[in-house]
Amino acid sequence: MNGHGIPARAGIGLRPPHYRQLLDELPDIGWLEVHSENYFCQGGQPLYFLERLRRHYPVSLHGVGLSLGSTDALSQQHLTNLARLIDCVEPGLVSEHLSWSSVGGRFYNDLLPLPYTEEALVVVCQHVEQAQDFLGRQILVENVSSYLQFAESALPEWEFVGEVARRTGCGILLDVNNIFVSASNHGFDAARYLRSIPIQPVKEIHLAGHDDNGRCLIDTHGRRVADPVWALYRQALARFNAVPTLIEWDTDIPPLSKLLDEAAKADFYLGERRAAAA
Amino acid sequence: MPPLRELQLRFAANLLDPDGRYAAAHVLEGAIASDERIGFYRTNVVSNFRDTLRIVYPVVERLVGERFFNRAADRYMRVHPSASGDLNRFGECFADFLDTWPPARELPYLADVARLEWLVEESLHAAERESLRPTDLAAVPPDRQELLTFDLHPSCRLLVSAYPIHRIWQVSQPDAPGDAAVDLAEGGVFLLVLRHGHEVAIETLDHGAFCMFSLFAAGRNFDEALRYAVSVQPDFDVAAFLQRHVISGTFTGFDWPLSCSDETAHSDSQRPLAAAA
Repeated sequence: MNGHGIPARAGIGLRPPHYRQLLDELPDIGWLEVHSENYFCQGGQPLYFLERLRRHYPVSLHGVGLSLGSTDALSQQHLTNLARLIDCVEPGLVSEHLSWSSVGGRFYNDLLPLPYTEEALVVVCQHVEQAQDFLGRQILVENVSSYLQFAESALPEWEFVGEVARRTGCGILLDVNNIFVSASNHGFDAARYLRSIPIQPVKEIHLAGHDDNGRCLIDTHGRRVADPVWALYRQALARFNAVPTLIEWDTDIPPLSKLLDEAAKADFYLGERRAAAA
Repeated sequence: MPPLRELQLRFAANLLDPDGRYAAAHVLEGAIASDERIGFYRTNVVSNFRDTLRIVYPVVERLVGERFFNRAADRYMRVHPSASGDLNRFGECFADFLDTWPPARELPYLADVARLEWLVEESLHAAERESLRPTDLAAVPPDRQELLTFDLHPSCRLLVSAYPIHRIWQVSQPDAPGDAAVDLAEGGVFLLVLRHGHEVAIETLDHGAFCMFSLFAAGRNFDEALRYAVSVQPDFDVAAFLQRHVISGTFTGFDWPLSCSDETAHSDSQRPLAAAA
């Protein structure tokens, strides 16, 4: 255990098609992660299975809707719903994205990119602090993949990510696939990105599959983790040590066994890293 | 306006309007033009909203086909923009939208089918609560029975339609037999939506039963509900109603006024029953 309930092992994203089989078979995986908003409901199947699976696995809550980078105020209702879910699930980790999804009261429910400016840093940090104060705990923020860069950006993304952690004391959820996708789309060096991220705040890593639409790489979470992303993951482990690692799969969800194969592969690299450190 | 605010408002405007160039000046081009880059986000946002509706409204989509459904979704996301970071709330107003959207005018039952699908969605995710057991009612003193008020299960939803939407819903299920004709002249229907375990069931009610539930939901007592039910349906069978719905778990509890003062307060608050129905 890492002191926060989530072990430095591979976990998988919990999705409804796997609820029953997971609970029946209780496979040997380190932990589960859910999208917080899908459990804001009062009852029914999602909460039923989450409650039961929680008895067997540590759980991490991963939000997609808080809109930390928006110039709108954070939604008090959203924070309240999240706090209620945290009370009920007692998650080991709580994370959100370094992006925005709403402005002017309208939500686009997507992870939209920020310009990396001092102004955006102030907005994000104020919201991260507000969320941490309200929830009474540290949150992790995740780097998103992007298909464009803003002319206004004054900092490279890796500096922006590190600076948010430094100013707010939040943790970093490093999505290695997102680094790979953005590096390919924008032509920067993924290894340099890794080298620039401070070590201590990195508490979790995400891995997922992406697609190539012929023009750029798209972060679809719909296939196996690509070989070059595994290679980048090993570089990340070399720098950040064995960190809890999640396999995400959100579209064309495969049989559970395929997801467990991916998790076993991550566990293998985590073991390799531990052996190298010993 | 602060620069980030302006950038976000422009970018957002461009997400649903492909013709605008509001945000392009903020975006570095490189090998791919700004418009195309913004277009990747537009594609994600639009397909995400469409798919969210598709998952909640499969029967509406089956009735109108994918192209028509996408047109409806594209219009809906513009006139009823998502107002929450919880995407599960997004489809809430789709039935009201279909009521007034001109291209759907030739399918007058469509909005009620959507209404039913949203109630099924609500029911699926409503709170869990123990149902009343038939033996619990034995504790009620006979002279108090008519003063009983009933709590309905949190997953319980009621719907009335002027169209045979239950039949339409049934023949539109993926496993329905091939003969899918529904005669609209069959007329309207009263429906009860209720979750049993993880599955939601849709049951048809007679008019009397629908009135009983509607008045219970409004906090009226057994006597008030029954008198109204019999006034709209003289042959209403209250014994059969109770037996069926106590056994099926529709009720979670009941209550009756304990003291004289409670009773006085209760009768003082009586309103014309029709107003509650």
